[in-house]
Amino acid sequence: MGAFLYGVSLQWKLDIRSKTLLITCYIVPLLFFAIIGGVFTSVMPEARYTLIQSMTVFGVTMGALIGLPPSLVEIYSSDIKKVYKANGVPLISGLALTNISAYIHLFLMSIILYIAAPLIFQAEIPENPGRYFISLAVFIAVSLCIASIIGLAVKDQAKTSMFSIIVFLPSIMLSGIMFPIELLPKAFETTGKLFPAAWGYKLMTENTFRFGSLLPLLLIFVLAAVTCNILLRRVDK
Amino acid sequence: MNEAINISSLTKSYGTHTVLKGLDFCVRQGEIFALLGINGAGKTTSLECIEGLRNYDSGSITINGIMGIQLQSASLPKYMKALEAVKLFAKWNKTSPDRAALEALGIYELAKKSYYQLSTGQKRRLHLALALTRNPDILFLDEPTAGLDVEGQISLHEQIRQLKAIGKTIILASHDMAEVEKLCDRIAILSGGKIAFIGTVEQLGEAMGKHYNITIQTENGAERYELENIGDSLLSLLMQYRAKGETVTDIQIDRGSLEQHFIKIAKGD
Repeated sequence: MGAFLYGVSLQWKLDIRSKTLLITCYIVPLLFFAIIGGVFTSVMPEARYTLIQSMTVFGVTMGALIGLPPSLVEIYSSDIKKVYKANGVPLISGLALTNISAYIHLFLMSIILYIAAPLIFQAEIPENPGRYFISLAVFIAVSLCIASIIGLAVKDQAKTSMFSIIVFLPSIMLSGIMFPIELLPKAFETTGKLFPAAWGYKLMTENTFRFGSLLPLLLIFVLAAVTCNILLRRVDK
Repeated sequence: MNEAINISSLTKSYGTHTVLKGLDFCVRQGEIFALLGINGAGKTTSLECIEGLRNYDSGSITINGIMGIQLQSASLPKYMKALEAVKLFAKWNKTSPDRAALEALGIYELAKKSYYQLSTGQKRRLHLALALTRNPDILFLDEPTAGLDVEGQISLHEQIRQLKAIGKTIILASHDMAEVEKLCDRIAILSGGKIAFIGTVEQLGEAMGKHYNITIQTENGAERYELENIGDSLLSLLMQYRAKGETVTDIQIDRGSLEQHFIKIAKGD
């Protein structure tokens, strides 16, 4: 347990030093929030009712999909993996530690948005903060799981960026944070539902808890976790 | 002497290409043992099978003790600092970093440097320190001095000798024959996926016969000869020069080196 906790604190420091996660988890989402938050609330005043949720969905999706995979590629597609394996460091630790560290960073960024949005743009705070944060916790976990698939499956940094963007763009565009998904063609609406962002946004904006919105996220999480397990075994060989 | 490692009938193929064709050898406890072979002989595959980094097809590997492994091609996260890496590895292995060993390897001097800021030699020292965090009985060193300057090599050789002195078994893979000759108690030469020779450097010399390289310098230039029976052969060679009327101005004699013996065996000559 001591090794695991030390690993978490060390990974947290490495993420801050590397600046990649700092940029993708804090700087870009908060900058996006500052600009787009202003645009949304000016053009559509009603956007302030869902501003916290929409900016959080963007920030979490960006931080997870763009920020996490490079850290995983660094570990699992290089000699680091062999050094860990050869000298008694469990191979899964790389996956677990980077995920936990990213999880904490993304949660912190979401809290900053939760506090800043009402102060700057008079955004409305979710009716039930407890339920909101539980939904957020689930959404971050699912997003990181999807990001982990990219990080474990892709072997080099250049391709990682490409695959991350391929998943990131439809996640955001079809999630409903920019415009209601009901206005989209049916095919796009259906495609959007394959990504956690659409379900995460739905879950965080609903006034009452609906298991129907949570279930798809749980399904995506289970499928992604199984895929990660298979990929980790492949890496281990 | 007890065996630290015993390899029996080890085979490994990649597709239709068989790399190891029934490897048999043992490494004794407390010795420095070198595994040698030309590129493609199966040296890395053998080591990786023993280290548990690669699966093998058949045979058996018995390891008596904890292994510490310094890989030739090794890396760490770019921004991880030297001492942080040592602490992380020690914590996963439930050991405490050996301060004396860390001091001897100069790890405290590197404490505040990130991995990407370290030189090749500093990285090698750090990876040796990481291999030692398990407090291993058996230490694998793959090309430990590759890329090091002379001072770094001498320092590392001294550390390897000290590790042997405290009872560690050391398996060395190296292309540096001078290093192998200086450090190793026994060597094994791999050729064609099998052990072509195993024994001491002296035994290798004996097995290869008395072998001398002679360079004879005359006014017309220098000529090189490889002789086995130096007493009679050299005398008759000199007689030939006298018969031709050439004046010998210098003679250089050296015994066949480990390198020459190695190449002969490794290439199956």
